Amino acid sequence: MNLLQRLFGAKPQLGADQENRLQEWRSLPEPDARLPFDASRLVVVDVESSGLDVRKDHLIAIGAVSVVNGRIVLADSLDIVLQQSQVSEKDNILIHGIGGEAQCQGMPPAEALLAFLEYLGKSPLLAFHVAFDQAMIGRALKLHLGYKFEHAWADLAYVAPALYPQLARSYRSLDQWMALFRIGNYARHSALADAQATAELLLALRPQLEARQAMCFQGLRDLERERRHQTHPV
Amino acid sequence: MSHPGSPPNALILATLDHLTRFAPFDRMESEHLEWLASRLEVGYYAKGEIVLSPEQGEAHTFFLIKQGIVQGEQGVVQAQEDAAWLELHEGECFPLGALLSKRPVTSVYRAQEDVFCYELKAQDFLALTHKSEAFHDFCTRRIANLLEQSKHIIQAQYSQSSAEQQSMSSPLSAIIRREPIACDPQTPLREVLESMQRLGIGSMVAVDVNHRPVGIFTLHDVLARVTLPGLNLDTPLASVMSPDPFTLPPHALVHEAALAMAKHGFRHILMVENGRLKGLVSEKDLFSLQRVGLRQISGAIRNAERLECLQQSALDIRELAHNMLAQGVAAEQLTQIISTLNDVLTNRIIELELRDNALADIEFCWLALGSEGRIEQTLNTDQDNGLIFSVPMGSSAEEVRARLLPFAKRINNALAECGFPLCGGDVMASNPKWCLSLDEWKDTFDKWIYHGAPMDLLHSTIFFDFRHLFGAEHLADSLRKWLSVEASKNSRFLHQLAANALKNRPPLGMVRDFVIGEGHTLDLKLNGITPFVDAARIYSLAHSIAETNTLQRLRGIAEPLNIKPQDADAYCDAFLFIQLLRLRLHHEQTQRGEKLTNRVDPDNLNNLDQRILKEAFRQARKLQTKLGLDYQV
Repeated sequence: MNLLQRLFGAKPQLGADQENRLQEWRSLPEPDARLPFDASRLVVVDVESSGLDVRKDHLIAIGAVSVVNGRIVLADSLDIVLQQSQVSEKDNILIHGIGGEAQCQGMPPAEALLAFLEYLGKSPLLAFHVAFDQAMIGRALKLHLGYKFEHAWADLAYVAPALYPQLARSYRSLDQWMALFRIGNYARHSALADAQATAELLLALRPQLEARQAMCFQGLRDLERERRHQTHPV
Repeated sequence: MSHPGSPPNALILATLDHLTRFAPFDRMESEHLEWLASRLEVGYYAKGEIVLSPEQGEAHTFFLIKQGIVQGEQGVVQAQEDAAWLELHEGECFPLGALLSKRPVTSVYRAQEDVFCYELKAQDFLALTHKSEAFHDFCTRRIANLLEQSKHIIQAQYSQSSAEQQSMSSPLSAIIRREPIACDPQTPLREVLESMQRLGIGSMVAVDVNHRPVGIFTLHDVLARVTLPGLNLDTPLASVMSPDPFTLPPHALVHEAALAMAKHGFRHILMVENGRLKGLVSEKDLFSLQRVGLRQISGAIRNAERLECLQQSALDIRELAHNMLAQGVAAEQLTQIISTLNDVLTNRIIELELRDNALADIEFCWLALGSEGRIEQTLNTDQDNGLIFSVPMGSSAEEVRARLLPFAKRINNALAECGFPLCGGDVMASNPKWCLSLDEWKDTFDKWIYHGAPMDLLHSTIFFDFRHLFGAEHLADSLRKWLSVEASKNSRFLHQLAANALKNRPPLGMVRDFVIGEGHTLDLKLNGITPFVDAARIYSLAHSIAETNTLQRLRGIAEPLNIKPQDADAYCDAFLFIQLLRLRLHHEQTQRGEKLTNRVDPDNLNNLDQRILKEAFRQARKLQTKLGLDYQV
């Protein structure tokens, strides 16, 4: 253990094995953001938390599915609950359905987050309303692994309206976009089910992405940026 | 990451949950389902996008629809009329044949709306067919398999009424409980009667030294043959028994025994294996749980003295049909039984009529036409009949006809009173056009075959299914022999029949095609039954097959037409399924006191029946495609 770390107490205590795993993950090569969807892996993620305050509330669960070569691979998915020292409020439990017992029996946070990183690899991340998922995951990684997570994300909440500008006014939530493409959800507000629905939304956007020649992660980023400029001109 | 083999995560579990709502996944072992789910991918196809096509080469993926509708379009023939020949919904999978035989698909599969599919690689699909018997069964015997499931559902629906009823399609050997009591034919009556009394049995079988049955004696016989004649009880059994009893082998089906009882009026049927007596089936064994027995009805009809009695019997036939339907008796047996009883009824009506107004000097043959001629009567059949007669020396056809017409009229009316409505098209023996001498019939048929006008073609679909019902059978036989030769010679006529038949296309999907005609319904008879009946008739005429029953025709044409046995079976299964749906529809309509129709609302069918019906229609299309190709339509 590093003397400075011990003195400042800022960095969490990781076992040697955990340090190794983190290092190993960090040394993975970065993928090319311009690889076409048909030859790459994306990870679609959704999180559940104890509340909506990204500074105070904590991460309870991560759900993720991968889209490999343009198809959702059911077995290549992640469904993980982080062990909580304090069970979240009842109202909150009613939203995501992860009960007190399940919260206490979750995986120790550092282990859970390492498992998430190892599942993720360096594949680009996608979510619907990235800001929240990005903040929750980023803060948890900082807190439990002492690692500043700077990963490539794309936000379907911006990409979808960029592709369907005429619908942008009336389609805002994930539910609305799911309804448009008649995407079912076996358990709304379960992180994994929502990630799956978001992944299906990505697949359903494909014809428009093809039309816009945006069939790679960088294409999604460009569309997102375009939409952000339109809605919040600098 | 969850690897195949590790405990399934929520997504896999949700997928399993989804899959098990559909056949065959609802019957697969969970281990195999997990194996499958952990290998699935989800793909998306936009509306109008091609999912799979022949151009893609050997089929590489198994698709299972997660959401949306996929439409299959077949090559040139169907593409021209811009009609889908297959519509696949959530839970259905494709392709099967192409994957099993490692070839390209023959159809283009296109997304009819936004579609999400579960996808499995071909090699995993094949591996699964080896692992899971239920899956293998489903892929290789799709229609038979679905039918099997549907039958289970029907039986389950009616389970309370049929819990103790043996299936009509089980072999006789399965319902026989013990060896029958038998004795030597020379045994004195006193001894026979004492044994029957002591053992509490209703019948005694006489067997020879090789245990071969030579006669049967029942309690019913005692009064007429022993007591009333005041017979000495030392008389040997041989002199009072009914000789040469009817026998069936152990593998004969229960319904065959039932049919024989109805047809010949037997109360007992012996089961014989290699000539030796092995068992005895009584009518009571077969129908002990039924309020209305098959043989009681046929017995009542045979002994009826007045029309009122026959009217009751006609009602009983319907009741019996409903009971049997409820017990899950298959459509083939059921329509046979209905037709047989209706035959017996018609026979008795004619007998009673002849008793009152003898026509002893006229040789005639009463013909059953249409569905009755094909032995495919359901509960909703109006009468189609005709008469053939011979013209005696020194008389004319006109004279004979003048005497037969009033007789035929009375029979038509009597049938109407028994619940067989008069034929709207006047296809009845009382119509002078259909009460003809043998030569007149030949002339009439000859004109139809030669001219092939629309009305001629329509008539031939009714009349060419004629069958002897009462009277001089040789007249019907002669006409059939003549027709077999003439019709098969005239290829232009067969072509016209085929063209006519192909005007009636079965519907193909639920969304696009099922919703036709009045109030969201489709016509099971016109759209479902008729294509099979027509094709079977045309091919039978072409190949001089004398059968009139559609199933027998289909089985009969398989060999001359080089139809694979499994394809012929699929046609028969499809035909029978539609018949069964018709019978069930009539059953439900009767229970609700509604008028009987053939129109069904596809939304009222369960998911499984909808799928089978679509598959059945697909088989009809297949048969029609063949007909079109063979006759260059």
